[in-house]
Amino acid sequence: MMTSLAHPHTHSEHSAEHHAGWARWLYATNHKDIGTLYLWFAFAMFITGGVMALCIRAELFHPGMQYWQPEFFNQLTTLHGIIMVFGAIMPAFTGLANWMLPLMLGAPDMAFARMNNWSFWLLPPAAALLLISLFVPGGAPAGGWTLYPPLSAQAGMGMDLAIFSIHLLGLSSIMGSINIITTILNMRAPGMTMLKMPLFAWTSLVTAYLLIAVAPVLAGAVTMLLTDRHFGTHFFNAAGGGDPVLFQHIFWFFGHPEVYIMALPAFGIVSQIIPTFARKPLFGYVSMVYATCSIAILSFMVWGHHMFAVGMPATAQLFFMFLTMLIAVPTGVKVFNWIATMWQGSMTFETPMLFAIGFVCLFTVGGFSGLVLSIAPIDTQMQDTYYVVAHFHYVLVAGALFSLFAAVYYWLPKWTGFMYHEGRGKLHFWWSIVWFNVTFFPMHFLGLAGMPRRIPDYALQFTDFNAVASVGAFCFGLGQLLFFYNVIHTIRGGVGPAPDKPWEGGNTLEWEVASPAPHHTWESPPDIELVRRGLIAQAVEHEEEGDAR
Amino acid sequence: MESRVISMQQKNQRLALKLALAALLMFGFGYALSPFYAAFCQFLGIDRANASLTSAGAALRVEFDVNVAPEIPVTMQALDGVQVAHAGGQVRARFLLRNESDQTVYLRALPSFAPVRAAGLLQKLECFCFNAMSLAGNEQREVTVVLMVANQLPPEMGAATLSYSLQKIDPGQLRAM
Repeated sequence: MMTSLAHPHTHSEHSAEHHAGWARWLYATNHKDIGTLYLWFAFAMFITGGVMALCIRAELFHPGMQYWQPEFFNQLTTLHGIIMVFGAIMPAFTGLANWMLPLMLGAPDMAFARMNNWSFWLLPPAAALLLISLFVPGGAPAGGWTLYPPLSAQAGMGMDLAIFSIHLLGLSSIMGSINIITTILNMRAPGMTMLKMPLFAWTSLVTAYLLIAVAPVLAGAVTMLLTDRHFGTHFFNAAGGGDPVLFQHIFWFFGHPEVYIMALPAFGIVSQIIPTFARKPLFGYVSMVYATCSIAILSFMVWGHHMFAVGMPATAQLFFMFLTMLIAVPTGVKVFNWIATMWQGSMTFETPMLFAIGFVCLFTVGGFSGLVLSIAPIDTQMQDTYYVVAHFHYVLVAGALFSLFAAVYYWLPKWTGFMYHEGRGKLHFWWSIVWFNVTFFPMHFLGLAGMPRRIPDYALQFTDFNAVASVGAFCFGLGQLLFFYNVIHTIRGGVGPAPDKPWEGGNTLEWEVASPAPHHTWESPPDIELVRRGLIAQAVEHEEEGDAR
Repeated sequence: MESRVISMQQKNQRLALKLALAALLMFGFGYALSPFYAAFCQFLGIDRANASLTSAGAALRVEFDVNVAPEIPVTMQALDGVQVAHAGGQVRARFLLRNESDQTVYLRALPSFAPVRAAGLLQKLECFCFNAMSLAGNEQREVTVVLMVANQLPPEMGAATLSYSLQKIDPGQLRAM
C-alpha cells in the first residue's frame, strides 16, 4: 500500500528508461540519470570556467599587457564568475540533490520526473548563450558577474545573451527547487520526520527555499536591465530619473542569499561525511538544523554589506555591519559541531574525509576574512581589492568546490559500483589543498597592499605575489585532470567492486541499497525498522523512543 | 489504493503550484523594490536626486561662525550670530572687524557651509568674502553678507552654519585682485 503512496508515477513516467544511447539522456526522467547529467554538465562548466581563470592568471603572471586586450580580459573575468557560480557550483549541488535525496529519504524518485528533465535541459542552451556571447559584436558582457549598470546598460548584444542565459538558469533553478522541496516535504519514508532527516536533505531544502525566494528577484533585475537597454524604461538610468544604485540593492538582495545557496549544501555534505569517518553521530543535530535556518533568514538582511562603499547613511552601515557579524554565530555553531563530532572519534582519513576536513579549515579562514570585510570602515578600504577575491575564493573553492569533491569521492562507490583508487584520491586532495593556498593566500596580501580586482595590468610592487598566485593556479588546474582521471578510472572498474556499504560509519538510507544503486530503488519505501536503525545510528532517534512505537 | 495514489499526486501538484506562485510573487517583489526604494530613501531623507522639500515659507536656522588665524592681530565678531531664514527670502548678517595692531594687515575670509548641502540653499548675493581687503592700523570696520534663501527648504535640515576663516595674505595678492 505504501509503495503506491510513495511513487505514483512509477510506471507511467519511466518510459524513458526504455530508450538507449543518447535518447536515454535526452528523455531522462530517472533521478539518477538526471543527477548524472547535472554533475557532468557542472564538471564541463567547471573546466570551461577554470580555463578562463587560467587565461586570467596567465595575463597577471607579469605586469604589463601580454596576451589579451583589456576588454577581453574583462569579458574573461565576467564569464568566469557567471559560469562558475551558475554553471558549475549550483548545478553540481542540484545534481547531488537529484542523485542522493530520493536514496536518502527512501523515495523512488523526485516528485516531478518530467519537470526534472526540463530543469536540466534548460542548462545547456543557457551555457551556449553565454559562450556564444564571446563571438558577437562587442563581445561577452564585461561588467563583472554583478552586471552593474551603467556599464551593463551600455554594453553590446553580448549582454542581452547573458540576460537571456540568466533567465534560463533562473528558471531551471526554480524548477529544480520546486522538485526538491516537494520531494523532501511529501515523499519521505514513513518514520522519517522532518527533524530526523539527514542533514544534507535539510540543507537542500533550505537552499531550495532560498532559491525560490531570490532567483526571481535576479530575474526581475536583469529584465529591468533589458527593458532599460531596449524599451526606453529608466529603472537604472540616471538620465531618465532612475538610479543605478537601485540595481545594486536588487542584485545583492539576490546575491547575498546566493552566497548561502552555494554554501549550505556544502554544509550538508560535510555533515554527512564527518560523522561517517569519525564513526560518531553528528554532534548537535538539532542545533545544526536551527543554524542552517538562521543563516538562511539572516542572509536576506545583510545585502547592504556589499555596498558600504556606495554611500550609505551611518545608521544603515551599522545595521548591515552588525547583522553580518551575527551570521558568524550560527556558522560558528556549525564549525564547532563538526569539530565536536570529530572529537574523540575513531577517525580515518579517506579522501572524502580529507576534503571535508580541508573544507572545515579553509572555509573557516574564508569566514574570518568575511568577518573582517563585514566591518564597514575596513570594507571601505578593501572594497574591490584582491582581499575580496581571496575571501570569496576561500569560501567558494575551498568551501563549495572541496565539499563537492568530498561528495563525489564519498558517493562514487554507490554511483558506479566500483571503488576509486584511494592513493590517487589522496594525491588529488593534497595537490589541491597545497596549490589552492599557493594561489589564493597571497591575494590577501595583494588586497591589503591595495591591488584592485578586475584589472589586466598592475603596479610593479605586486609582481611577486601575482607570479606565485599564477603558478599556484596552473598547478591547481592541472590537479583537476587527476580528479577527472580518477572518476573515469572508477567508472571503468576502479580498483574493484564496491560493497553496498563501503564506509563502515555510513548509516543513512543510501547505504542500504546495492552498489551501484539500481536504476529503480525504494519501489517499496524502506521498512520502518530499517529507517529507525539508521536514525538510531545517527542519534536522531533513541532506542527507547523507537521501542515506544 | 488508486485514490491514495491520486491524492499524493495532487498533494505534490498543490505544493508545486504554491511554490511557483511564491516564485512569481518574488519576481514582482523585485519590481516593487523600485518604488519601495524611492519611498524609503525619501522617508530617510537620503534621496540625493530628489530631496524632499517643503513649500515656501518654511524656516531654517542659520548660524554664523568666525575663526581667525592665530598670527593675525585682528578680531572678528558676528554681530548677528543667529538668523532665521525663510524660504524664498533673504538673510543679512553683519560682522565687526578690528585691527589690534598699528600696522596695516591684508586679509581674506574663506566661507564654508555645514552641511555642505546648505550651500545650494543659501546663495551669497553679496559678501565681504568676494574680495580680499586691507585694514589700516587700529581700524574697525563692519562688513556684511547677504544670502538669498532657496524657494523650498528640506524640513530635515533644521539648521545650517556659515563659517568664515580669516587668513592673512601678502599685499601683492591684494593688488593682484
